Amino acid sequence: MRPAPPATQQSYTRDQIETGRTRFAAQCGFCHGRDAAGGEGGTDLTRSALVAEDVRGDKIGPLLRSGRPDKGMPAFTLPAADLTAIVAFVHDQRAEAAAATGGRRAVDLADLQTGNAAAGQRYFEAACARCHSPAGDLKGVATRYQGLPLLQRMLYPGSGGRGAGPAPTPPAVRVTLRDGRVVTGTLAYRDEFTISLTDSDGWRRSWPANQVTYTVDDRLQAHVEQLGKYTDADMHDVLAYLQTLR
Amino acid sequence: MCWLICRRSGSAAAFVLAAAVTAAAQSVDPSALLKPPTDSWLTYHGDYSGRHHSTLTQVTPATVGQLGLAWAFQTGQAQQIKATPILANGVVYVTTPDNLWAIDARSGRQIWRYTHPMNDGFHIGHRGAAVSKDLVYLTTPDAHLLALDARDGTVKWDVVIADAKKGYWSTNAPLLIRNHLIVGVSGDFDNLPGILRSFDADTGAPQWTFYSTPPPDTPGSVSGGATGGQMWMTGTYDPDLNLLFVGTGNPTPVLNGEARPGDNRWTGSIVALNPDTGTMAWGFQASPHDTHDWDAAEVPVLVDAEFGGVQRKLLLQASRNGYYFVLDRTTGKNLLTTPFATVNWASGVDEAGRPSPNPAKEPARDGRLVAPDEAGGTNYRSPSFDPATGLLIVSAHDAYGIYFFKKEHGRYGWAGADYTVHGRGVLRALDYRTGQVRWSHDLHGGAGAAGVLTTAAGLTFSGDSANSAMALRTSDGATLWHAGIGRVGNAPITYELDGRQYVLFGGGSALYAFALPVPR
Repeated sequence: MRPAPPATQQSYTRDQIETGRTRFAAQCGFCHGRDAAGGEGGTDLTRSALVAEDVRGDKIGPLLRSGRPDKGMPAFTLPAADLTAIVAFVHDQRAEAAAATGGRRAVDLADLQTGNAAAGQRYFEAACARCHSPAGDLKGVATRYQGLPLLQRMLYPGSGGRGAGPAPTPPAVRVTLRDGRVVTGTLAYRDEFTISLTDSDGWRRSWPANQVTYTVDDRLQAHVEQLGKYTDADMHDVLAYLQTLR
Repeated sequence: MCWLICRRSGSAAAFVLAAAVTAAAQSVDPSALLKPPTDSWLTYHGDYSGRHHSTLTQVTPATVGQLGLAWAFQTGQAQQIKATPILANGVVYVTTPDNLWAIDARSGRQIWRYTHPMNDGFHIGHRGAAVSKDLVYLTTPDAHLLALDARDGTVKWDVVIADAKKGYWSTNAPLLIRNHLIVGVSGDFDNLPGILRSFDADTGAPQWTFYSTPPPDTPGSVSGGATGGQMWMTGTYDPDLNLLFVGTGNPTPVLNGEARPGDNRWTGSIVALNPDTGTMAWGFQASPHDTHDWDAAEVPVLVDAEFGGVQRKLLLQASRNGYYFVLDRTTGKNLLTTPFATVNWASGVDEAGRPSPNPAKEPARDGRLVAPDEAGGTNYRSPSFDPATGLLIVSAHDAYGIYFFKKEHGRYGWAGADYTVHGRGVLRALDYRTGQVRWSHDLHGGAGAAGVLTTAAGLTFSGDSANSAMALRTSDGATLWHAGIGRVGNAPITYELDGRQYVLFGGGSALYAFALPVPR
C-alpha cells in the first residue's frame, strides 16, 4: 500500500528542508512524529493521500490554515516561509519513506491476511446484513479500498481520514418546530444546545435544541455498538470476507 | 535602595516603610499553599490536594444562570490555551508553549508577556505556571525552567531541566513545596529514563532527581529494560505525611512490549516521594507492562474520608487505562480497582489491585481492537472531588483503537502503530467509595479537553467537546448555564476579588472571566 508518486516532481533547497525539519518538529512533531511518519494521535504523513496529491503546498497550506477541528487538528498561523519549509520537509520525508521499507507506523496489506473469509461471511450475515449487502452498497468495495483503510472503514467509516475514502454521508435530520412545521435535511452540527441541518437547497438552518423536537437517523451508531462485540478474530474474518467483494 | 532612602527625612522614611509593607504583601509566601485564600488560585490544582474544588458560594445553582462576561483576554495566537491559569495578588498567569502572560484579574488587561526564544521542542501544549515569593516559573519546550520577576517578567534565572537534544521537553506546571520547586518533563518519542527534578525555588540550584526508570544498563534495575515513565503532570502533596504523589508515564519503547519483558516498574504508576530528598516511599502500578501509551500521570486526588467504615487518608485516581483506583496514601495499599470507561484489555485484577494485561490485547502484526484508544479513558484534564456529595467528577472517554506491532517497527520510540477508531466524551460522576457512576453527562463529541471545577455551592464547571463552557448541578449533572466561548481546553478556576466571585475559563485561544451582575 504505497501511495503513487506526486503528479508533479517537486524540488526544494536543503536549507528549506532543514528549516522545515525544525519548524515541523516544534509545531507538528508531537502528533505526526519528528520524522512525519506518525506520532501520538496524528497520521503518518509519508503515507498520506493528501500529501501525495500536494503540489508546493496547494493542499497542505489550506489544511494548515483551517485545521481539522473534527479530527483534533488545530489551525496554524504560520509565516509563508515557515509554511514552505514545512511543505519541503514533508515532501522530503515522503520521498525518503518511499525509498525505505518497514516504516515506523507501516501496516502492510500482507499483515492483515489472518482472517477466514467464510467465517467472516457468516458473521457479516448475522451482524451487518441489516444495513449492508455484498451486491448493493458493498459491491466492489475491495477494489475501492485495501488493507488498513478498508479495515478502518469497516470498523467506523470516516475513522481513517482521506486514505479510507470519503466521509460518510451525514445522517438525515427531521426537526419539528413549535408551530408544528417540519424541516428536514442532513445533519450539519449538533451539540447539547444547538441543532443544525443543511436543507435541500443547501442552506444551513439552526435552532436552540430546547425549542424544537428533532430526530437524527444516525445509522453509524450500529458501528459503534459493534466495536464492543467483535473479537479480534471476528474483525479479521469480516475483513477477509470484505476483501472478496471485488 | 533602602539604605539610601532611609537617610532622608522622617516623613519620607514613613512613606518608604508603608511601601515596603505593601511590597511584602505582594510576595507569595510558600506556606500560603497549605491553606490557600479564596482570593487566589496559587498553584495548578488550587491547593495541594488536587481536588480542584472551591469553598466559594456566591454563585449558586439559583443564580448561575445569570453569569455574564466580566472580561475576556485574547492571546492573539492560533494555539489553544490548555493551561490552567493561576492567580496571585490580583494577577492571572497563563501559559502556552514559549509564552507566559501576566494579566490584571480586575480588568483583563495584559501587564506583561514573556516569550521564550524560538526552539524545536514540541509545542503541543502547556499546563501552566507556578509562583513563589516574587517569582513566576515557566517550563519550556526545550526543557528549561525559568524564574521570572512577577512584577515585569524579566528573567531572574534559567536552568536546564533535561537535555532537549535527547528528546526531552516540558509542558509541566511546577509544584512548590516549601523551597522545593518540583518539575517534570515529557519524552515519549525516545527511549529516555523518566525523571522528576527538584530545584531551589529561590536560586534554581538543583536539589534532587528521582528516576522512575533508571538510565539504561543500571545494575539492579527493576524496569525490565524499559525506559520512559515521564512525570509530565503536576503532583499532589500531603503535608502531614510529607509525601509528594505523582503519576508516571508509559514505558518506552511505547507499543513494543517484547523489548521490555515484565511489569516495567515504575512506569504507569503512582509513586509517593519525600519532597526533601526525592526518596520513594511506595509505588502502585496502575498499568503493569503497558503497551498502549496509557500513562498514569493523571491527577492523584487526595481525600480524607470514610472508606470501609474507617476514616482514612485516601488517594483517588481515574487513570488513562480506564480504571478507577482508590489507594491508602499512607501505605500505597490498593482499596478499590474498577473501570470507569469502556475497557477490554485486562483479563482480571491481581491480588495487589492491578489490572492484569491480557497478552492477546498487546499490539500485533494483524491489529488488535482495544478499548480505550491511545488518548485513554481520561487524560491530563483535571477531575474534581466534591466533598459534600462524595463525587469524583471525571472527563471520561469511551473509545476503541486498533494497535499494531511487528518486529520491523523496531525497539525505539513509538515502535508500532495505532489508530483511533471511534471515541465519545462523557462527564462521569463517580461515587468515590465504589466507583459507581451516579450520573453521566454527554459531551457531544470525542474526548473532552476541559477539566472540572466543583464549588461548595453545589456547582460543577467544565466544558463540552463542542463549543461551550457549562455549569452543571453537582448532585445530578443537569445543565444550569452555558456559554459558547469555543472549546474549553483547560480546567476552570474560581476566586473572589472585591467581593465578587469569578469563574475563569480558557476557550480557544482566549481567557473568559464570568461573574454575576454587580447590583446597581
